[in-house]
Amino acid sequence: MIVVNYLASVTLLCIGLYAVLTKRNLLKIVMGLSLMESSTYLFLLSLAYRAGSTAPVLLGPPHGESPSALAHGDVADPVLQNICLTAIVIGVAVTGVFLAVTVRIVQHYRTLDADRVRELRG
Amino acid sequence: MSTALLGSLLPLTVAVPIVAAACCPIVARRSRRAPMLLSVVALLASGALLCCMAPSVYDGHVLVHFMGHWVPVQGHALGISFAADAWGLTYALMTAFLGALLVLSTLSELGELGPKELGGYSCLFLLLCAALIGAALTGDLFNLFVWFEVAALASYALTAFFLERAIALEAAFKVLVLTTIASFAIFLGAALVYSSTGALDLGEIERALSGRSGAPVALVALGLLVGGFATKAGILPFHGWLPDAHEAAPGPVSALFSGLMVNLGVVAIARLVFEVFTTGHGHDVLGLLMVLGVTSAVGGALLALVQDDLKRLLAYDTISQMGVLLVGLASASATGLAGASYHLVDHALFKALLFLCAGSIVHMTGATKLSEMGGLAKRYPLVAAAFVVGVLSISGVPPFNGYVSLGLIHEALRSRHELTPFVAMLVSQVVTMAALGRAAWLAFFAPPARGEVPPHGQDLRAGMAAAMIALSAGCLAFGVLPTVVLAHVAAPAAAALLHPAGYAGAVLASGGSIPPVRVSFDYWDPAAIATVVGTVVLAVPCAVLAGRVGERARAVTRRLQTGSVNDYAGYLVGGMVLTVAVLAR
Repeated sequence: MIVVNYLASVTLLCIGLYAVLTKRNLLKIVMGLSLMESSTYLFLLSLAYRAGSTAPVLLGPPHGESPSALAHGDVADPVLQNICLTAIVIGVAVTGVFLAVTVRIVQHYRTLDADRVRELRG
Repeated sequence: MSTALLGSLLPLTVAVPIVAAACCPIVARRSRRAPMLLSVVALLASGALLCCMAPSVYDGHVLVHFMGHWVPVQGHALGISFAADAWGLTYALMTAFLGALLVLSTLSELGELGPKELGGYSCLFLLLCAALIGAALTGDLFNLFVWFEVAALASYALTAFFLERAIALEAAFKVLVLTTIASFAIFLGAALVYSSTGALDLGEIERALSGRSGAPVALVALGLLVGGFATKAGILPFHGWLPDAHEAAPGPVSALFSGLMVNLGVVAIARLVFEVFTTGHGHDVLGLLMVLGVTSAVGGALLALVQDDLKRLLAYDTISQMGVLLVGLASASATGLAGASYHLVDHALFKALLFLCAGSIVHMTGATKLSEMGGLAKRYPLVAAAFVVGVLSISGVPPFNGYVSLGLIHEALRSRHELTPFVAMLVSQVVTMAALGRAAWLAFFAPPARGEVPPHGQDLRAGMAAAMIALSAGCLAFGVLPTVVLAHVAAPAAAALLHPAGYAGAVLASGGSIPPVRVSFDYWDPAAIATVVGTVVLAVPCAVLAGRVGERARAVTRRLQTGSVNDYAGYLVGGMVLTVAVLAR
């Protein structure tokens, strides 16, 4: 059921947030953020869901359906799915930058502990 | 030119810098100077295009262009729009011209870098400027998120660009974590708005929301959006990344971040609150902005007061100035909004100037801390003069520009009898002046703290000097020509924010106009003059006191600003929860 999706999404978000707020390992922070990111995708795709609907593809409709019938309603919301795709692309780029920075930090400080990378404060 | 033709030029203002950004690494192989020259030309071209639109937009028109001419049908927009109103255009114009000036300054400061570095650097610089212009002009909520992300990606890379400084990596990691959380909030906010109204076009959202008052989903969405953009603006509970990023980045990059990038948050918040989420819950949002603004204005100034690192001090002051901007917005009167748009321009000018000064001190002597400086005025009179101009502007001393914008914001608060915010503004002004005055004194005029002036390293380059002189001139010009700027820039921008239906209607009708508002500023108003005199008198003991307690106060701030990314993320999430709770209650 769709409620399960929302619950799963909130759970993922909380696990991710827990990691970001409490873990001192830089990689675990990055993983936490990735989890939060996935939870937003799941949330959006669940928002796009409609009971009994098909995929929003109007070409080559399923047997017994016409494209205009599909366009008039019984499809999942394509806009949210599109937004999700865009966000996934951006998310990959951000994760790439994240990992690059983490690798550089490890090369320089020889540690993954966020508490030992704390020169800037006050 | 007709408004439709002008509107069709809108995408070019973003496309030109983006294309140039892609070309930068390629032309860098030919000549080391080529990428920088290309960036200056691209930003000036974009600025020239915006200038073509300026007369029409400041006359009250809203220029709209739908990509591929997918214009709205019966109030439903399927296409993606660009829309220029006076508020967004002011920010876009500033980005283009100030960006060009900053590239020029970088060109001369970092000219000896290798071609690969110069190519990559100018590419990122241009991408960031293009994203800011795009965010200012877009008429689509999801596009706003995309421009936010483009700006964020460019800023991550720029923060960590000079890898020989290890603190740059640390700062980049913090920027990444906080901005990524902010982007999730904006993303979710946009999705919730869409699921509640079925629209992503800002005009259509306004229409859909004005039909009903206070749909809870839309309010949660607004809370998430405000929280997300407040992170970009460095408003107080969301600010953890800002001082670190500014301290670690080189001078011109800090100037770009502080003068232009953080403003993106405020520009977007103003657009959403005043032009999109207009009905039913105006009071709650404005109250929230007022609280956030006052907290940042006073808190940022206090944190700036006790800093020892010059660029960090300036960064905390940016937090304070963003708070002042929010207070101006939250006053929601024509005077206050005009003051906020005036201050937006002013802040870009003086903060860029101050960061360039700080950057040039690092360039010439290698000193970053105030306790390492002292007595620099004799050796670098130009930098000292420029820094003093910046300090006077930021503290609102006539004839410089801060006097006018702060005066307008104060007047708006006084005329609405908002006593607490008014007093808070005065306090923040006193503390700001004390913090920056103390910095100017310690760096340039006081006897050197370590017995001798730090040794001279590299020379001040012509481009750096030119940028400082140009920005100082800008500070002065905006201070002595308040009536011109008010009538032709600030008042139209205030009008755009005050007439929500105007913007929304214009986007849906592919163009429209906004009725003008009148804002006047009395330059010789006794109350304003008295404020300035009072601030100066109070700032001196405040600065002396800060010097006395400096080290102990820093120990206290270190307990709050722990430097731990977990804590900063915690502050952010806490602030976000509060924002959403206040709006959706």
